[in-house]
Amino acid sequence: MDLIDIVSTPFMQRSFISAVLLASLFGLFGTFIVPKRLGFMADGISHGSLLGIALGLLLGIYPIFLAIIVASLYGFLLSRVSSTSNITQDGLVGVFLSGGMGGAIIIMSYVPGYKPELFSYLFGNILTIHWTDIYFLTGFFILVTIIFVSQWRNLVITTIHNDLSHVIDLPVGRTKYFLFIGTSITLIAGVKLLGIILVSALLIIPVLIANQFGQSLKSTFVLTQFIGILSTFAGILISYVMDYPTGPSVAILLVATLMVALVYKNMKAKFSH
Amino acid sequence: MNRNIVEYDNVTVIIGNKKILSDASCSIPRKALTFLVGENGSGKTTLVKSILGLLPIAAGNISFHSTNGTKPILGYVPQNVIFPTPFKLTVSEYLKYAAQVPRDKITTVIKRVDFPETHLSRNITELSGGQAQKMLLAAELYRSPDLLFLDEPLSNVDDSGEKHIIDVILDVKNEGVSVVIITHDWQFVSSYGDHVICLNRNFICDSGYCVCKNSLSKVNIKNIQKTSPDSNSTHAGYCYIENI
Repeated sequence: MDLIDIVSTPFMQRSFISAVLLASLFGLFGTFIVPKRLGFMADGISHGSLLGIALGLLLGIYPIFLAIIVASLYGFLLSRVSSTSNITQDGLVGVFLSGGMGGAIIIMSYVPGYKPELFSYLFGNILTIHWTDIYFLTGFFILVTIIFVSQWRNLVITTIHNDLSHVIDLPVGRTKYFLFIGTSITLIAGVKLLGIILVSALLIIPVLIANQFGQSLKSTFVLTQFIGILSTFAGILISYVMDYPTGPSVAILLVATLMVALVYKNMKAKFSH
Repeated sequence: MNRNIVEYDNVTVIIGNKKILSDASCSIPRKALTFLVGENGSGKTTLVKSILGLLPIAAGNISFHSTNGTKPILGYVPQNVIFPTPFKLTVSEYLKYAAQVPRDKITTVIKRVDFPETHLSRNITELSGGQAQKMLLAAELYRSPDLLFLDEPLSNVDDSGEKHIIDVILDVKNEGVSVVIITHDWQFVSSYGDHVICLNRNFICDSGYCVCKNSLSKVNIKNIQKTSPDSNSTHAGYCYIENI
């Protein structure tokens, strides 16, 4: 089967469309989540949201729907934590991660029979993406893009100089809620393709790779989008050809690209001196 | 019209469990150069941050008096800002987002603070302390604040840069901006100060009045002395500053 045959398969077309939408969304949020050092938060939210998946499987409710509710709640509570709180943000992430996963595994023991769909939710499966998922993703993408355009300046200023954002009366709280809850929903939107375990790779690693080469916010942002979309496309192809789960295929590809980028940058710096 | 742009009445600021300012009162006069001096840990930055709304006050009142009845536009240049290293923002982009400087005015804006034009495409995390402070000042000046706070504006600049920054500050004041400067440079205070507020751990002195140990005494800038406070004295006519 050549590339044209693969690409013309309906489920592969759905996978590629969702890859473009998801990689763009992850690139938008990752641009601000990574410099704010919230990568662990993203990991904790996605892992802890397994609770919603397990509840969905037990109750017969669409698992992604419940996972979005759980993730949004995590995002909301994390955005309420301030620098003067007694509970730290990373501490609360640890609570959500262990509590969510622990609860999910106990709930799963009450779901009767073999659970093949659980493996798909954990590691991603291109076969599980339907047109309804694409419609949801498209609507969410349009909504998020509109908010990003209106909030872009606020996000930039709150990322680099939080005091200034207060002094110039920017809506700091609203921007924080948007970033945290928006990231949480985006992570769950990517679960069907990439799986709950590795979905945060697409949020974090493209930004890290782009940072090795970008010279400005504009160029780094464009590079992040390009790397995210390209690596997800390639990961889906590898997943199809080699019959691997999609999440690990994309994650391994991103890690390998980051390693090559770091080696290249170090070699370049070494030889330019 | 009130001659003060800010009145700070009996304000208490608590951070964690620690009372940083207790019943502190002072005022910032309009269109004047006010210096905020005092030993390390006396609460200078806390006072400024509470006025800027960056720290909540536990008691007291902070009132603003602008010429048009609305809250004055505030500006703030901290001594040091640690920019996140994984965020690739250039100087041009900073000016665009922080102060909404149009592309065609960027050169004029940075020239005012003597910031090198060759550094416009440089990442803000690669700037020296002095260059970063100049960039922050350029952005704040473009926003045309009514009240501008500068935290140690001369601490990161060399001698020639120091002269230029002082000239810019005096120009800004002459344009009608109320400027408040946190400093440890006593020479700077005595040469240019219109008004001085000094903080000690136990009391706050305004150049109009000195409030300490429940006594109220008239104080002149010239009478603010660099000496240790005597807890038994009523400080009539004097304010005491340690370790300037």
